[in-house]
Amino acid sequence: MRQPSVIARRVAAASVSLVVAAGAAACGPEDNDANGAGGDSTPHKGGTLTVLNANPQQDFDPARLYTSGGGNVPSLVFRTLTTRNRENGEAGAKVVPDLATDTGRPNKDATVWTYTLKEGLKYEDGTPITSADIKYGIERSFAPELSGGAPYLRDWLVGGADYEGPYKDRGDKGGLDSIETPDARTIVFHLAKPEGEFPYLATQTQFAPVPKDKDTGTKYEEHPISSGPYKVVRNENDGERLVLERNTYWSASTDAERKAYPDKIDVRSGLDSSVINQRLSASQGADAAAVTTDTNLGPAELAKVTGDKELASRVGTGHFGYTNYIAFNPTIKPFDNVKVRQAIAYAIDRSSVINAAGGSALAEPATTFLPNQKSFGHTPYDHFPAGESGNAAKARELLKEAGHANGLTVTLTHSNAKDFETSPEIATAIQDALKKAGITVRLQGLEENDYSDKIHNVKTEPGFFLAHWGADWPSGGPFLVPIFDGRQIVKDGANFNTGLLDDKSVNAEIDAINKLTDLDAAAKRWGALDKKIGEQALTVPLFHPVYKRLYGKDVKNVVISDWTGVLDISQVAVK
Amino acid sequence: MSEALLTSQPPGTDTAVPGASGARQFWRRLRTQRAALVAAAVVALLVLVALAAPLLTAIEGQDPTTYHPSLVDSARGGVPIGSFGGVSAEHWLGVEPQTGRDLFARLVYGARVSLGVALAATVVQLLLGVVIGVAAGLGNRWVDLLLTRIADIFVAMPLMVVALALLAVVPTSFPRPVLVALVVGLVSGWATLAKMVRAQTLTLKELDYVAAARLSGWSTVRIARRELLPGLAAPVITFAAILVPSNITVEAALSFLGVGVKPPTPSWGQMLTSADVWYQAAPQYLLLPAGALFVTVLAFTVLGDGVRTALDPRAASRLRIGTGRGREAKPETKGETSRKARRETKGVAS
Repeated sequence: MRQPSVIARRVAAASVSLVVAAGAAACGPEDNDANGAGGDSTPHKGGTLTVLNANPQQDFDPARLYTSGGGNVPSLVFRTLTTRNRENGEAGAKVVPDLATDTGRPNKDATVWTYTLKEGLKYEDGTPITSADIKYGIERSFAPELSGGAPYLRDWLVGGADYEGPYKDRGDKGGLDSIETPDARTIVFHLAKPEGEFPYLATQTQFAPVPKDKDTGTKYEEHPISSGPYKVVRNENDGERLVLERNTYWSASTDAERKAYPDKIDVRSGLDSSVINQRLSASQGADAAAVTTDTNLGPAELAKVTGDKELASRVGTGHFGYTNYIAFNPTIKPFDNVKVRQAIAYAIDRSSVINAAGGSALAEPATTFLPNQKSFGHTPYDHFPAGESGNAAKARELLKEAGHANGLTVTLTHSNAKDFETSPEIATAIQDALKKAGITVRLQGLEENDYSDKIHNVKTEPGFFLAHWGADWPSGGPFLVPIFDGRQIVKDGANFNTGLLDDKSVNAEIDAINKLTDLDAAAKRWGALDKKIGEQALTVPLFHPVYKRLYGKDVKNVVISDWTGVLDISQVAVK
Repeated sequence: MSEALLTSQPPGTDTAVPGASGARQFWRRLRTQRAALVAAAVVALLVLVALAAPLLTAIEGQDPTTYHPSLVDSARGGVPIGSFGGVSAEHWLGVEPQTGRDLFARLVYGARVSLGVALAATVVQLLLGVVIGVAAGLGNRWVDLLLTRIADIFVAMPLMVVALALLAVVPTSFPRPVLVALVVGLVSGWATLAKMVRAQTLTLKELDYVAAARLSGWSTVRIARRELLPGLAAPVITFAAILVPSNITVEAALSFLGVGVKPPTPSWGQMLTSADVWYQAAPQYLLLPAGALFVTVLAFTVLGDGVRTALDPRAASRLRIGTGRGREAKPETKGETSRKARRETKGVAS
């Protein structure tokens, strides 16, 4: 079973959604053009960076974090075998080596992956980092008491399905046999099936080293041992207030990715999102050297910021692989008829949907299920062109062919979250557009958890509902597989293949692409597969979100990659 | 709050028995209160606007649900284009941010929901309160005890919490405005009214004309209808005048919390919810529903106060009208109060 990789944005809805709260790390903005505030824009070392966040850094344990926490606080403390390229935009969606010397050396069919650690790697106490520590870190993530991580390791590693972590097998010798450490600098992974995207997985915090003799189990999160440029010196109220200072044993010569300009990082969370944006716009005192890694500008805040030149110059723009869409359940009438689904696709008014989502600055129209980024293998297509404001005539024609010449009444299920994603605003925009095509839409708004439970259960799944999906890493695999792989249909648990598609040719193509270790070639085939699946109109892509994030006056060297769209605090300077 | 309403009930009202001449007297007293008259005019206007919503929007040439994507600045989060939130000859009060829906149309249609739900809830509260109060007052010891205890439970119930729970459980297919009116009416207000009506019934029951009716063999229902209800009219009307504005705010609060009427049906509370983040970028979007709510609640409250004053002989004597006796009436009023107090003691004892 997979979790939806991502995480509500803007409003702190994340904390209550079915997504693990730790995953809140994965949301964010990103920037292609902003390069710090005026004056001397060259970044210098020193100063204190303040981080104003909505969600506390709970579960500050590498085993429990859902994603690698990209540009966020965890990546200042945890180094992993590989990491994301810390660059603006598209280049930031690449995997690069971190603790390892390369992104991994696969065998021929991508079932065995070998990594070699760099030399001179040290923890915050000066002890060397070994490959056994990385193995131990991964094994910990299998312990039931340290749950929260993504399910991939359990699915992929040989013997992963039945392994219960190092605390249970303490008497035995080996731990997970599928991870070998022939010497202190080498680690080898044996996978149950070909996985060409293993380098992406190795960016997740489960791949951070944990020294076995310092492991305090569930208490490890209070003071995780740092392998990165900063160490934890204060952790109050379960991650609500964090103070990080330099790890003097970290060496920039072994870390090409983290810049680590500030001397100190002061993280204050549990703040209301409007308070964060208000403080960043006022930018007074310590807030002048402040950023946020989890709060975006909402539509109203954006309207205010864009009216002020000074504020507008302090906004970073981020893209994250994420799609908001309409989902159909083809076992429920009238959505079993592909013509009805197509008619709805034709009738959508994307301009009003985008306005409901916050306008063209916060959402880009989507006609493909895959996000509009190269790393996903985005292949443009628009099988049912609705134009900007919908093609009602074509929709009526299709409805007539489907036997609904006198119109149609359907129920659209949505959540009552205030997230501008699956919320009533989007639902009413669709309702208004479909009215022009003779489709009467009744709205069924559900409380957030109820909504999430209903749409992810094959027994209660509605016929026509709003949904969203984000990627665990910027590639077509984690984006398409959970939603369209027929073998991923879960009858008695959380099911994400809401279109209940079980197409042999699709399944076979997924297996073939997973064998590829050339990620560019794989991306192309994911794109082609997306285009092919799109013909069935099981979803109507609506928009890809864009994140706008405000930062303080003194903040320099703003880097926002396309990986998560998060303002990368390992690059930020305040002097 | 409802307890406070009960105790603030002026004791003088419970003997006012407006007959045909009473009604005339009532109007005379109400007319002398300028604030109440203005409030009455405002209330009449609001009701008229709510009833004529389709007509008014037709004159404007708009409707409350159509999107106008071209009237908002998409690149700036969907803020309305133009001054004062996009006010123009076509859109008299501007348009809603992000959607471009006509704000005048949404405001007047919102009045239908806000007033309709509040008035319907008031009717429910009055029916329940009077029927249960009279039944408790006239019934035997056990009926009285049972009904009084039930009323006590409802008085103690936290309105918003219960309403939120009820509204969340009922299937969404149930017509929402009706449901909101029912929930507000069933959960709040009526219990306090019932307790007041019961006390009043116990007092009236002891009066000679009621005793005479009973002795001549009238049925309980007939006594209640012919002899008691006229005597209850004044306090009940007064109470209703206080319930209406409170119901309006409750409906707005429920809609604000997202359990009120369903979108795209506009209501003022719902408009406030989506407008609260826009207070800086598009202030008029927040001010319109907030102002409408303010004016409505104020008008109903002032009118309610006027009605109470007009029905209260002592207050009327302070106004030096209506009793026809002026200052000299004072000692007598006092005497009346003490007589009534004695009766009340008897009533409770019985």
